[in-house]
Amino acid sequence: MDSSILRQLKKIAGKDAVLDRPEELMLYEYDAGVDKHRPGAVVFAQNTQQVSQIMRLASEKKIPVVPRGAGTGLSGGAIARREAIVLSLARMNKILEIDVPNQRAVVEPGVVNLELSNATVKHGYYYAPDPSSQKACTIGGNVAENSGGPHTLALGVTVNHVTGLEVVLPDGKVIELGGKAQDSTGLDLTGFFVGSEGTMGVVTRITVKLTKLPEHVATLLAIYNTVEDAANTVVAITQSGVTPAALEMLDGWMVRCVEANVHAGYPEDAAAVLLIELEGMREVVEEQAKAVSEVCLQQKAREVRHAKDEKQRQLLWLGRKTAFGSVGRVSPSYYTQDGVIPRTKVPYTLAEIERISKKYNLIIGNVFHAGDGNLHPLILFDSRDPKQTENSRKAAKEIMACCLKFGGSITGEHGVGLEKMGLMTAMFTEDDLEVMVRLRNAFNPESILNPQKMIPDLHFCREITGPLPKARIEPVEGVQA
Amino acid sequence: MNTVSSPASLDRDLAAIVGASHVSSTAFDINGIVPAVVVHPGSAEEVGAVLRLANERALVVAPAGGLTRQQIGGVPERIDILLSTARLNKIEEYDPGDLTIAVAAGMPFAEMQRRLGEHQQWVPCDAANLERSTIGGLLATGAAGPLKSTFGHMRDFLIGIQFVTTDGKVVKGGGRVVKNVAGYDLMKLLTGSYGSLAVMTRANFKVFPRPRQTRTFICSFHSLEETLQFRTRLFQSPLTPMCMEIISPRAMEYLRNPGPVHDPDDYVPEQPLSLPAEEWQVVLRAAGSDNVLARYARELGTAVTRTLEGVREEQFWRWISHFEQSVLARHQNAMVMYTHLAIQSVGPALQAMERAAPDYNLIPAAVGRAATGNLVLAFLPLSVDPPSAMQYANCVSAFRGMLPPGSSAEVAHCPMEAKHHFDVWGTTPTDVNMMRAVKRAIDPKNILNRGRFIV
Repeated sequence: MDSSILRQLKKIAGKDAVLDRPEELMLYEYDAGVDKHRPGAVVFAQNTQQVSQIMRLASEKKIPVVPRGAGTGLSGGAIARREAIVLSLARMNKILEIDVPNQRAVVEPGVVNLELSNATVKHGYYYAPDPSSQKACTIGGNVAENSGGPHTLALGVTVNHVTGLEVVLPDGKVIELGGKAQDSTGLDLTGFFVGSEGTMGVVTRITVKLTKLPEHVATLLAIYNTVEDAANTVVAITQSGVTPAALEMLDGWMVRCVEANVHAGYPEDAAAVLLIELEGMREVVEEQAKAVSEVCLQQKAREVRHAKDEKQRQLLWLGRKTAFGSVGRVSPSYYTQDGVIPRTKVPYTLAEIERISKKYNLIIGNVFHAGDGNLHPLILFDSRDPKQTENSRKAAKEIMACCLKFGGSITGEHGVGLEKMGLMTAMFTEDDLEVMVRLRNAFNPESILNPQKMIPDLHFCREITGPLPKARIEPVEGVQA
Repeated sequence: MNTVSSPASLDRDLAAIVGASHVSSTAFDINGIVPAVVVHPGSAEEVGAVLRLANERALVVAPAGGLTRQQIGGVPERIDILLSTARLNKIEEYDPGDLTIAVAAGMPFAEMQRRLGEHQQWVPCDAANLERSTIGGLLATGAAGPLKSTFGHMRDFLIGIQFVTTDGKVVKGGGRVVKNVAGYDLMKLLTGSYGSLAVMTRANFKVFPRPRQTRTFICSFHSLEETLQFRTRLFQSPLTPMCMEIISPRAMEYLRNPGPVHDPDDYVPEQPLSLPAEEWQVVLRAAGSDNVLARYARELGTAVTRTLEGVREEQFWRWISHFEQSVLARHQNAMVMYTHLAIQSVGPALQAMERAAPDYNLIPAAVGRAATGNLVLAFLPLSVDPPSAMQYANCVSAFRGMLPPGSSAEVAHCPMEAKHHFDVWGTTPTDVNMMRAVKRAIDPKNILNRGRFIV
């Protein structure tokens, strides 16, 4: 990175807020996904004004900027190239206001997801979207990725809980979108912005809805002797008229993996388990729990356990929430997928994954948001073995092809970023993507922000956008449409 | 009234695209402007060809569905083509097991809802005029009713969309699955864009199981203050009602079967004006088993003055959804506003309405979503001394001036002459320059609904 740029960044954010030594930059070359690139510099902004000054500088010098929260993303959205600046929002981590009467909180983007719920629970409210990384991920990052989580089945994903944003545009201009009201006159740019993966602007303040804590919660664990029965139960519950707060599935391999790590109390001989949570008024929850148990048993569940107290409930969830970490203990590398299928196709798709697993002789564990049809197959491989690495990519590609065959999506909550960019053309036509690029250019005309992410570099991009900034991102190895 | 006849060559070129039998003329006017020609394309590709032609010749196009909400917005400069989606009216795919449906944009909403009802499912939208209103029209106007309290509005269950841009491209966003973050969320952008960005041709929804049993509890209070205190207690209670409406004293007049209409602007309350209507109401609708409904009755206790079930309950909620229509049926010169408020701004907004209206010879009445701040405010003209066009403008400005910061309120209906004196859309917390940049990016020649919307 040019030393005069570094000097100016230090002048804006402070000497201790800019990193440029290789050993420091190493920490910012990856996220929780598969891609890795070392940025040119990292700068920590402390307020909106600094973000604005940094963006103005970057725009003038045509230096790409990649905003970053906690770096827990799974699709490479926060990864920058050598010529780019990583703009970390992690130090903008204040909860600015908890407005209980209006059921809103106003936060800076670096606030950690779970900390907001921890701060509001004493008022009887919480922040509903709960990605598995909620102990570390930031709300700014959640806004960029439109993050989901197990409890978004009934309550909706991030976009359903954000009502206002303060955004810094690439030229440094600060704009407001929405506020504390549920909606406002004019175009819903707040809703449009959420999930734009850092390609439209840098979020510097977020107004979110707070959700009333439910009066009663029931957590059930349904245990199955075959994966098929569990998958059929998902379809049957969806059709029964009950919308659980969460409906998660772990297959037998995942169950044993989790048990070896945290002893959540899942039976190790199960072929699959469903973790089902119901929330709301006591009477409603009790009736629904009964109805759901019956559905599970009709679909040949071997046993349905009810968490008797909060401790048991937390233990059941510990298994689900530490599933990814548990896999890390048994396999040197794993590749997390994020496909979505219509819920009626869950049984068939799981059978397909099983077939793909055998074909490539790779273990594929399944832990996912079954109620949404949002699959997370984990492909285990040894990255030191080039053949296995190659096969894991091939298996991933086949799983995605299977999702698309059923009119599904290549990503339900992890985002496109770098990882899935090559697959966008399998889901969208050039016309679809061209319109998206035109809309992005209304916010980010020179592609200074997070360049060459999300939408592949097709010929029309150059036609509309003109020459792109220097940072070129090579196609992701092995993952192509 | 301005009428424009279309040049014969335009009719001919349109007929070449859609067939001569699908090009017609109309007497229907939008805020006094009669479209020069009406065209009914039969496919998204035909919509594309019509738009491409209009774009090349810089002709102004107004997309249209059931014509129920066309009068909302500014007075258009001119309308060269009314593009009707009426022929795009099929259910393209419905998978009851998956709880998703794909429908063409010109289908009347009620028709889709009946089909879903066969499987005890629904798209939870209870806006007005659902027999005539089309899916596309409801989406374009962001229309909603009391169910918005819990379910949100159309944008929240729209999982995929197909639309046609002014350069004739058939574009899609989202898909057929309930969770999806691939690409930008074009569904959010198009919902509520009042046909100013593109013409919607298809919508995919996630649908919901329809509740099997509901009950409605009407609670009455002597003042707005008491009403709002009751609302706070509800927020703190474990109750999770499906709808929570607030109704101002005068509004009850419009939530019953309309009596004989003497004169459109004649204010003839069933109770004489000398007996001031003072009761504010909070109306709750709960869904669930007998056991659940009994819990509501227990928790609400003596606050409940009336309980409704079955046919009478359905009728009452239809009246609430049609409050605006029943006001306009009786007073063609009434003004109707839609508000967007933070929860705690509902009280100040209602006070602002009660204070602003009488100063300009208008009588205030309000019905709306107490939990989301989406109110429908009616300003009824006094027949003895009808307000002038300027008085409407001054009333709007006085009302908006009293709203707490962050609020917005658009005028959905008022006499046409008044629209020339103020901005029907008003101010909004969202950056308007950014909205305009988005509009330019997708409709650079500004051919779609020019002059109607905020952009």
